[in-house]
Amino acid sequence: MFKLKVSDAKLLRDMTTAISILVDEATFKIDPHSIKLRAMDPSRVAMVDFEWSKTVFEEYICTESTKMCINISELLKLLKRAGKDEVVELSLDEKTGRLQVKITGKYTRNFTMPTLEASEEEVPTPKLTFNVRAKATTGGLSQAIEDAQLVSDHVRIEADAEKIVFNATGDLMGATISLQKGSDTLLDLEAKESSKATFSLSYLSEIIKAAAATSDIATIEFSTDMPIKLDFQQAKEGKLMFYLAPRIETE
Amino acid sequence: MRVIADLHIHSRHSRATSQRMCPEEIARFARIKGLNLVGTGDFTHPKWVGELQETLVQASDTGLYKVAKDPELPVRFMMTAEVSTIFTFENEVKKIHHVLLTPNMEIAVQINDKLSKYGDLTADGRPTLNMSAPLLIEEIMAVSSENMVFPAHAWTPWFSIFGAFSGFNSVEDCYQDMTKHIHALETGLSSDPPMNWRLSKLDQFVLVSNSDSHSFWPWRIGREANVFELEKLSYYEIVDAIRQKDKARFKSTIETDPAYGKYHWTGHRNCNVALSPQEAIKLGNTCPVCRKKLTKGVEQRVEELADRPAGFKPANAAGFIRLLPLSEIIATVLGTDSPSSRRVWSTYNLLIESFGDEYAVLIDASIEKLNRLVDAKVAEAIVRVREGRVEVIPGYDGVYGRLVVFEDDYAKKPSLKRVKQMNLADFL
Repeated sequence: MFKLKVSDAKLLRDMTTAISILVDEATFKIDPHSIKLRAMDPSRVAMVDFEWSKTVFEEYICTESTKMCINISELLKLLKRAGKDEVVELSLDEKTGRLQVKITGKYTRNFTMPTLEASEEEVPTPKLTFNVRAKATTGGLSQAIEDAQLVSDHVRIEADAEKIVFNATGDLMGATISLQKGSDTLLDLEAKESSKATFSLSYLSEIIKAAAATSDIATIEFSTDMPIKLDFQQAKEGKLMFYLAPRIETE
Repeated sequence: MRVIADLHIHSRHSRATSQRMCPEEIARFARIKGLNLVGTGDFTHPKWVGELQETLVQASDTGLYKVAKDPELPVRFMMTAEVSTIFTFENEVKKIHHVLLTPNMEIAVQINDKLSKYGDLTADGRPTLNMSAPLLIEEIMAVSSENMVFPAHAWTPWFSIFGAFSGFNSVEDCYQDMTKHIHALETGLSSDPPMNWRLSKLDQFVLVSNSDSHSFWPWRIGREANVFELEKLSYYEIVDAIRQKDKARFKSTIETDPAYGKYHWTGHRNCNVALSPQEAIKLGNTCPVCRKKLTKGVEQRVEELADRPAGFKPANAAGFIRLLPLSEIIATVLGTDSPSSRRVWSTYNLLIESFGDEYAVLIDASIEKLNRLVDAKVAEAIVRVREGRVEVIPGYDGVYGRLVVFEDDYAKKPSLKRVKQMNLADFL
């Protein structure tokens, strides 16, 4: 049996939105202690690593570990019908294999949706050593990325002990956005060595914009020409991390 | 006699064509190129047929035409057209282009009578017809058994028989019981015979090559063509050589490097993303910039349908010569982006005056004679193209490939650098 209840629909909706940035069909691992998802987008450029402990929920019942695959954008359509303080309950009907979505507020709505064949793929996390670790506000990061998007489709992120610089160069225009250590945006910065790597702005922008709805603070870690890890600190006991592969200039 | 034929071009009545595409100008530049047979294109368009009737006369009983004002010009015209058929097959919409050949204007007019039931022939030089591919063949062959139809630019992503977006997996699926009338397949700029040889099911077809040119400029017209060796130049000889798959008469094709074609690699033009089949597959055919589906290139599509390894050559295959337009070669050496610049024309004209036509320069001219006439680097580049000692940066999603003759061409053009999107699988 699997059932969960969230008293604030927005919490569930924002998290579902963040996952939907990368994944269409999401296979969740469900056990008596938590619900987890680790998946890559179809191009395998980015990965989402999500976990919510049972303590996040008003009610969480899982009698047996299982996998459940759902079309995440279809679920999102239903969740968008829920108001901020409405209660959402999800339960798996084991006989029919359908997910029941109950939204309770001024009135009660019951939706059902199919579950899909669960993916058997076990996605490992990338094996990386990071030379830069920075803690920043998600609002500040969002602004920096929006600035860079005005001129290019990719951004080079450079860091030393004092600052992080976002460098974007387009065909016509360029942009340099500097975040100083200790500023209102860049709360902390550790750099074992100066590092730089280039990333797709469409991925970065969508990930940060969606994850910012779930979190005010993000820790970003990277090394030269290696993937970046973005860890969005969750208010309740949970994890929302993204990995994004770099772009590298070649001849 | 050697006949070099480009059987698929367009008139000024097709979209995105030069308004100066009239029969006299086409003939003038065909001669400069070295073509002695060129398609009229667009015979389905009534106004174009009218112009052809006014400007061309029959070349005796050959089923071909010559320019009335200049009958001595050694260029003949064949009545040709391209049509787009749109139809449903197994619940999918198919948009397939076909090239039509016919031996005279009277039959062309009869064909037009038939086809006008299926679409507006005046709307475009390449009309769109609401009919299936088999029905098209049935109608065309009912008018005259001398007619010939073959699928146009067979591999381009859109509008082609094997196209990644709305194509088929076999000629038989497309033409059904009318496949018996299909004897040839136009390879298009983005594929060449070796790519097509990888599909055993294509062995029965002659691989023809044409320019699909929308202008008469020599860097467009005749950039791909067919080389015949005929006792007499006539429509019937050409068509029979193809039908009989006669290697003694259908000698070879002139091919650009397939990488030069606009759809060789997979990519996104607006995102500046060009990927080899291996890279595209690794990225799940998703654009690493905009994250939408990539425009699948011809090389990747061939890879999907191939049942033979790269490098396989069937025993009965015709040969081919790999060339690139002379103007493009000169422009690359001179470091100008435009093959129509005055500097390019000046070198081009010097070579044509000396050797007679462009194919003679590209195929036959000796390095010694070239060196006496033009800059040594231009001469060297011509020979390197002939010998296949150049690199072409592959075209993708509507962007032509780019020729690199000398190593330092890379340094001259920093935009040749590509930003490669890595994959997380590289770090797991």
